[in-house]
Amino acid sequence: MKVTLTVNGTEYARDVEPRLLLIHLLRDELGLTGSHWGCDTSNCGACVVWLDDTPVKSCTVLAVMADGHRVLTVEGLANGASLDPVQQGFAHCHGLQCGFCTPGMMLTARWLLNNNPHPSSYQVREAISGQVCRCTGYENIVKAVLWAAEYEAGG
Amino acid sequence: MAQIAAQRYTGASIRRSEDPRLLTGRGRYVDDIKLPGMLHAAFVRSPLAHARVLSVDVCAARALPGVVAAFTGADLEAMTVPGPDALSTLMGAAGPTPEFTLLATDKVRFAGDPVAVVIAESRYLAEDGCELVEVDYDELPPVASADFALDPGSPPLFANLGDNIARSRSRNEFGDIAATFAGADRVYDFRIDVHRHQNVPMEGRGCVASYDPDLGVLTMHAATQSVHVAKIAVTMRLGMEPDKVRVLAGDIGGSFGLKIGASREELATAAASRALGRPVKWVEDRTENLTASGQAREESFNVRAAVSNDGDLLGLDVTMVIDTGSYPGMGGMVPAIIEAMLPGPYKLAALGFESVGVTTNKAPYVAYRGPWASETFVRERVLDLIAKDLGLDPLEIRLRNAAPRTDPPAVMLTGRPLAGVTTRESLERVAKLADIPAFRRRQAQARAQGRYLGIGVATFIEAAPGPRSPEGASGPMGSESMRLRLDEDGFVVLFTGQMPHGQSHQTTLAQIAADEFGVPFEQVRVVVGDTDVVPFGLTGGSRSATMTGGVTLHGARRLKAKVLDFASHLMEVSAMDLQITDGNVGVRGDPASAVAVSEIARQAASGEFGADVDARLEVEAVFDGGEGGWSGGSHCAVVEVDVETGIVTVERYVAVEDCGVLINPAVVEGQIRGGVAQGIGAVLLERSAYDADGNFQSATFMDYLLPTACDVPRIEIEHLQTVPLDADVNFRGVGEGGMIVAPPTIVNAIEDALSPFGVRIYEQHLPPARILELIATAGSAQPSGSAQPGRSAQPGGR
Repeated sequence: MKVTLTVNGTEYARDVEPRLLLIHLLRDELGLTGSHWGCDTSNCGACVVWLDDTPVKSCTVLAVMADGHRVLTVEGLANGASLDPVQQGFAHCHGLQCGFCTPGMMLTARWLLNNNPHPSSYQVREAISGQVCRCTGYENIVKAVLWAAEYEAGG
Repeated sequence: MAQIAAQRYTGASIRRSEDPRLLTGRGRYVDDIKLPGMLHAAFVRSPLAHARVLSVDVCAARALPGVVAAFTGADLEAMTVPGPDALSTLMGAAGPTPEFTLLATDKVRFAGDPVAVVIAESRYLAEDGCELVEVDYDELPPVASADFALDPGSPPLFANLGDNIARSRSRNEFGDIAATFAGADRVYDFRIDVHRHQNVPMEGRGCVASYDPDLGVLTMHAATQSVHVAKIAVTMRLGMEPDKVRVLAGDIGGSFGLKIGASREELATAAASRALGRPVKWVEDRTENLTASGQAREESFNVRAAVSNDGDLLGLDVTMVIDTGSYPGMGGMVPAIIEAMLPGPYKLAALGFESVGVTTNKAPYVAYRGPWASETFVRERVLDLIAKDLGLDPLEIRLRNAAPRTDPPAVMLTGRPLAGVTTRESLERVAKLADIPAFRRRQAQARAQGRYLGIGVATFIEAAPGPRSPEGASGPMGSESMRLRLDEDGFVVLFTGQMPHGQSHQTTLAQIAADEFGVPFEQVRVVVGDTDVVPFGLTGGSRSATMTGGVTLHGARRLKAKVLDFASHLMEVSAMDLQITDGNVGVRGDPASAVAVSEIARQAASGEFGADVDARLEVEAVFDGGEGGWSGGSHCAVVEVDVETGIVTVERYVAVEDCGVLINPAVVEGQIRGGVAQGIGAVLLERSAYDADGNFQSATFMDYLLPTACDVPRIEIEHLQTVPLDADVNFRGVGEGGMIVAPPTIVNAIEDALSPFGVRIYEQHLPPARILELIATAGSAQPSGSAQPGRSAQPGGR
């Protein structure tokens, strides 16, 4: 099936099998390997990308469902050479160890801050509770998101 | 006593040099590798726990368009060199070695055992091919429990073993068991169970094997804790010369002990690549990871404890059974470490330790963060049970029994000196931070309102690296090698056999080298993950802080001496008068004399010098761990148990840790928090569950529950850095401690919360349903001071 989608501002057209998952389209067909394949069951969130303006778990979205839509992945998070404040927060607060869950975490965090610029630590935890990090114990991820919120508030 | 010198980078939470690539999607994990002509492997796995394989028919799979090949177990045996598991061989596993094939041949031994592999143009097509493979099985009675495995009548998993005993029963005694128990006021009997759970890194196992038929060289891109151990496995199994095998590794999405060496599937992938002359990728999906990558723990302990009326723990006599699953691996080594560590920081007079390991129809046994952790769980649980019976405070019984810091240090009953161990200090400090008296008041108020709060304390020590033996002959963890070089661009380059998978070595080793050599942090390059250039090594056992940190320090010192020696010829100044600061070599007290180290390196590379000048600015260093030392600490948890739902909430968690000198506090604390989170998961959520027929019950993340951000509290950490033992290297490992001590800390807190119900806990896994059962069956089952059958205490006297 033909699918046309805009990923990180670039339009791609591909002929894909109807069963192809969005995560595999991004990784294997488009070479955007920053999003990771973690569980197949929508539980871990390593594959979180934005479909239009909403985070989705791309391991349970068919590529054809993205036809005509915009996708944002970790590769599109920075503004040119300038890292997104969420990315900066993760670096500043040691919010990652192995880094495998990090792209998905950051995309959810970016969405959260767009919709709630001043979240409480509980709201951050709730926002990322559909995603799993096995390394950090989450505390520094929470700090990283709060750091970004403060940075964006000019703090 | 050594002084800790002030350093520029060491001790600071330097931002990680790993992060820029990982934060922008430019990390290079094994599944990100795409080679020209690359094929994809998928495995057909047994749906049965135990069965004879009558036939495997791969014809239909081979005929499917897009499928390039399909191999059975027999095919793989013909394509490789039969022999035992390389890892067991390397680790010197005792006793007869179970039969080992890459894929099942005559029988399957667990639900998930691979029986065939299909190689196709895409993973989707390979999985389609798997659907077409027909396997006929003749089902055998499953051996799904250790109890059944111990029954001589159970059908042996391995014909060559003759029974299901993987590690034969053995017993060792330290001190005078008979006299200690005879002289004790009280003898308790407990049975403590630790359940099966597993690593679950976010990235599963995987590799890309690429055989070049023209060169006869196999290159394997692996996700492994040691490229060299993986290489040994490949060379052994594929029967290749070491110079024809190269193992590379890039970023790795966690491991926690899982990815040591090369797995059966990875070796099969390598064999397939060689047979087909094309690159082949295999990356496991989550169901494969949960079902077949490996699991850990599942140990039971019958514990007899000899105790005085005042609460002195005089002796332990322990019988351990370990369920090592279908392919024993690491399981054979665990009992010996548990035996050695069982006394912990306490002054026992006698220890008896008997153990036996069995094979069962469950997934293979692998190392998981603190593989011996059950020694701490058993000891710290037993202390609380005894304290409760004697009416002692849990803190008091620990302080009473912890060996005091003396000179010379107290020696563990099993042989190692407790040099520099700060158990008492960390216990007292964590109790103060948690403010136990204030908590008790709050607890009483909450109980009056029908809310059940509890507090738990536990302490541990870890041989990371452990003390130098009294004879001083060998280092505590063997030795660690490193090659260091000053490149012409002025970079100090470290070649290490460490294979980081989240531990931040690229940052921490650079901090040490930068300080010791005298260059900016940004001017150090850490090279990992290529068997052609790095020395032998392994990331595991919490060894890298001391061993690799130490070899970095000593290696950088040697390299610096060599560079200064060379510079002294160039600059015609005595090396004694030269120093390196901020990347420049200069005469002390004469800033104008400064020459960039890059310039020195360029001259060394291009100039011609006499035989008396060594212009090769490279050194090899080996470090034996120096004086070594222990890491350890005490943790305290406050929990609330909802007695209607059984849900446990960890309200507060405080850790007081002593890992000597911190290289990078943020990294250290990240390791501690991550370990504690896994420990919380192990108690409240995670279980690798099998039913009575050996069917795996937790093959997805909907069944194997991992802690999320709402399950793990903020973890407060304080560091003690009290006792440097070595003149230079007092960094100690923290990779495993959190996972070792968090389970008893949490369980102790839960039991405290449920003490109004008379609940006594003898197990580690406490999901809500089990909490409700414990409450429902308490009281009648656990009256203090009377003998109890089965899994219960038999407190009281003789």
